[in-house]
Amino acid sequence: MVASQKTLVVIGRGLAGNLAALALSNSLGPSWRIVQVGQPSTPPEDSFYGNVTAPTAYNFLRSVGLDEPRLLRRSSTAFSLGTHFKNWLGGASWMQCHHSPFATPAGAPLHHQLTRLGLDLEPLLVSAQVALAGRFAHPPSDPGSVLSRAEYGYQFDPMEWACLLDQSLQSSPVEIVECGVSEVETQAGNITALTLENGDTLTATLVIDANGPSRRESLCSGGAFTTKRTVHAQANQTSTPQTGPACQSVEASAQGWVSTAFLQDRALGLNVSAVRGNNAEQQGFNIALGQLDAAWNGNCVAIGHAAAVVEPLTPAPMMLLQRDIERLLGLIPTGVNMEVERREYNRQYRDDIAHISLFLTTLVKSDDVPDSVYWRDAQPTEPDEKLQRKLAQFEHRGLLVSYDLEPFNDEDWTILHWGKGLRPRQYDRTADAMSQVDATQTLASIRQSIEQITPRIPPHGLYVAKLKDYLERQAHG
Amino acid sequence: MADPASPSIKKIVIVGGGSAGWMTAAALSSLLPAQSVEITLVESEQIGTVGVGEATIPDIINFNAILGIREAEFLKATNGTFKLGIQFKNWGRQGETYFHPFGPHGVDMKGIDFHQFWLRYLQDNPGSSIEDFSLSAVAAKGGKFAMPDPNPRSVLSQLRYAYHFDATAYARYLRGYAEHRGVRRVEGKVVDVQQDSESGFITGIELEGGQPIPGDVFFDCTGFRALLMEKTLGVGFKDWSHWLPCDTAQAVACERTGDILPYTISTAKSAGWQWRIPTQHRTGNGHIYSSSLMSDDEAIESLLADLDGKPLGDPRKIRFRTGHRETFWEKNCVAIGLSGGFLEPLESTSLFLIQEGISKFVALFPTADMPDVVRNEYNRQLTQKFEQVRDFIILHYKATARDDSDFWNHTRTMDIPDSLQSRIELFSQAGRVFRYEDELFSKPSWIAVLLGQNIAPKTIDPIASTVAPDDITRSLKSMKAAMDGAVTKMPSHEAFLKNYAWAQAVA
Repeated sequence: MVASQKTLVVIGRGLAGNLAALALSNSLGPSWRIVQVGQPSTPPEDSFYGNVTAPTAYNFLRSVGLDEPRLLRRSSTAFSLGTHFKNWLGGASWMQCHHSPFATPAGAPLHHQLTRLGLDLEPLLVSAQVALAGRFAHPPSDPGSVLSRAEYGYQFDPMEWACLLDQSLQSSPVEIVECGVSEVETQAGNITALTLENGDTLTATLVIDANGPSRRESLCSGGAFTTKRTVHAQANQTSTPQTGPACQSVEASAQGWVSTAFLQDRALGLNVSAVRGNNAEQQGFNIALGQLDAAWNGNCVAIGHAAAVVEPLTPAPMMLLQRDIERLLGLIPTGVNMEVERREYNRQYRDDIAHISLFLTTLVKSDDVPDSVYWRDAQPTEPDEKLQRKLAQFEHRGLLVSYDLEPFNDEDWTILHWGKGLRPRQYDRTADAMSQVDATQTLASIRQSIEQITPRIPPHGLYVAKLKDYLERQAHG
Repeated sequence: MADPASPSIKKIVIVGGGSAGWMTAAALSSLLPAQSVEITLVESEQIGTVGVGEATIPDIINFNAILGIREAEFLKATNGTFKLGIQFKNWGRQGETYFHPFGPHGVDMKGIDFHQFWLRYLQDNPGSSIEDFSLSAVAAKGGKFAMPDPNPRSVLSQLRYAYHFDATAYARYLRGYAEHRGVRRVEGKVVDVQQDSESGFITGIELEGGQPIPGDVFFDCTGFRALLMEKTLGVGFKDWSHWLPCDTAQAVACERTGDILPYTISTAKSAGWQWRIPTQHRTGNGHIYSSSLMSDDEAIESLLADLDGKPLGDPRKIRFRTGHRETFWEKNCVAIGLSGGFLEPLESTSLFLIQEGISKFVALFPTADMPDVVRNEYNRQLTQKFEQVRDFIILHYKATARDDSDFWNHTRTMDIPDSLQSRIELFSQAGRVFRYEDELFSKPSWIAVLLGQNIAPKTIDPIASTVAPDDITRSLKSMKAAMDGAVTKMPSHEAFLKNYAWAQAVA
């Protein structure tokens, strides 16, 4: 015990709580005591974090000990080159793949040449083609290889990751108390003490609410949760003799949507639909989509599902969770008055939520949706100025409008627009700097090199198996 | 496919020469396919340009590179010198000096900003200055210069630079460049502007002597006169003088004395500040002040008293208004340069804002019907740029302990934009700086000015406390040794220039 030690209490032992506790423990010095409280079980709603991460998760996961060798050897995690939307609204199908910045032939963004020549985008995306062929290899660092343009995240099981993190926490300085909170004492909007179910009392400097969507009122004091609808989710898994492709698939159904992620030895399914009458007969859970207006209130910060719930149609839920934790690490309070930290945290939080919503709204917005409660409710009701600008600018002349530190990058947006069938009416004049013949040839040669390399890349399952073999041999020296 | 219904732009008319006009002409002639548009620039030798010794920020290098301009040739043509940053004197308090360098301070470790480690180091080494860990600052103070090394492992990779040059010579140089690429220059004074009676679009201008010049799009580069934007189209002006009260400058060049410094000097005075910009052949100076708090005579006297060489001619008075047009692009007219807005050159952003005006126009290159969707986006982006620069400049006036004049008493206590207030609070609490994407001034710039003007963080960020103080000390000492070593080996700025890009034959 260090004099004047401050106490940080993390409530919740699911994926969010474990990630936060470990990240905080790695980043804070001995002047902070970190206590994590909660029953050692992963809440079922954790499956609503989805089963894929974006490429940006790599460094973050490493920083909490979920490095790639460990993920492959100790869990059924597999690679993800993106999400394959099949039979989406209006029958659209495309590969929402992860890709490094697109080629800019003669200085003009790629999509302007595509608009000019009336060509399709997907055949020019190596990560899309490799994923659709069921193949995978690590992108090489050699920029001469067309595969170096691919980027990848992971397909994973949130329950498994929560367990791996729990193992790390057991040998960390984090004190774990295996019971929940029974009472919360507050004073002037701040939590002064937490009484635990075992009768102990904790005084806390800072409280992290990572306790999922239950959102205890006394914790998120003052933060109103705005929700427009509640959906029903049902998770399932089936074992697979062979590893599936390095991409999750998402399909629209009449009543909602179904995703399937392919891990090493199994497929994880998630079925999302409107809430139906008699819940008692249904498996799964209902979950309200929405967000707290402010995630940091008093001395309590809500992260993950406690702060916001978005549908796991994309890596968005994991992007948000990662950002919640990184935002917190950048704003650990230095005193009792946390006004400055709180204001900046909530500013960034609101921006992140708004920007994630832009992407998700674009994904589900359509004039051609199945006639069902789910899809009717999924349609945006009010126009959003930021979104209108994005759509209008892209449609008018292929301009990608982006806002401060958006989680989804220009490539994600271009692929989404193209996938949903939105095409610019005009292209940028800078594309004319290259003759039509040269442009056609340049794009044809990109397509050809992708066509040539794809069959030479191993199937995803074989690649993972061989990589694991190699890692095992390394581990055993 | 391009929409065949929209007519394309065939004729571009730029009204006004000077830096803004010729930068626009040069960029458009280089970036637009030669046969597709006709570019005409109208200027009158009877109308002077504001052109003073100009200091820039590193983005100018990109502008020149896009145009394919060779650096040495350009420096020779403009009497240019290198700039590694700005020295600020008497800003936080009288008698104090700090340096705002280009490029970073030190090296970030474990994803934590360098200045957090320096703040920890400062606790045990109270005399330390963060500038000792900026390669640009160390080189500048030693009067040295070298080219940055593209290899990120080399300490020289941390160097960033811009230029000082003669703006009139730069405009002349770009004129040659643009004319070579087919831009037609017409000498003459605009006496009339024709507009379409229905749409209000400008259809053409008429010169003295009756010569008509029709066009599809017009660039107003007429400086503060804003001939097309204000006089013809009546576009309003967003006034920021309540935050930035200076409204007048007296500019004069003086003879060069001593070595050519590789940095700009900005000295705070009782009702404004004075710049010192070294070019190869002379030194540019200017005193910017608030005319309601200082008379012209006082300002001139103060300017001349602080020259370090014999003045070359009489000081020239420039009146200005701080702020920007409500729209930078109205109907088929785009304001570039002073006609679009003005922010005092405290952080050398004038040419950068011109550059942004041009490059955003090219990125949004419209059809001749000038759709609203394009114009609105352009105006949004340019407004954002001006506001970002504004906040950074206001910081210099706000973060001060000076109470020796009405001027400083006003700026020290004035209300500032919320965005800036929030930044100051975050920094003063635990040295936190959050980058806003697409922002011109990066973290190191904010840190240099915040620390330089005595916004001392009350504590260091808790996450920096996981690194042991001994490790911090070792890292910082080795960084400093590497920088000092690199600077020792650099040639002097003047020697480098003489070898690389000297305008006159070396005596």
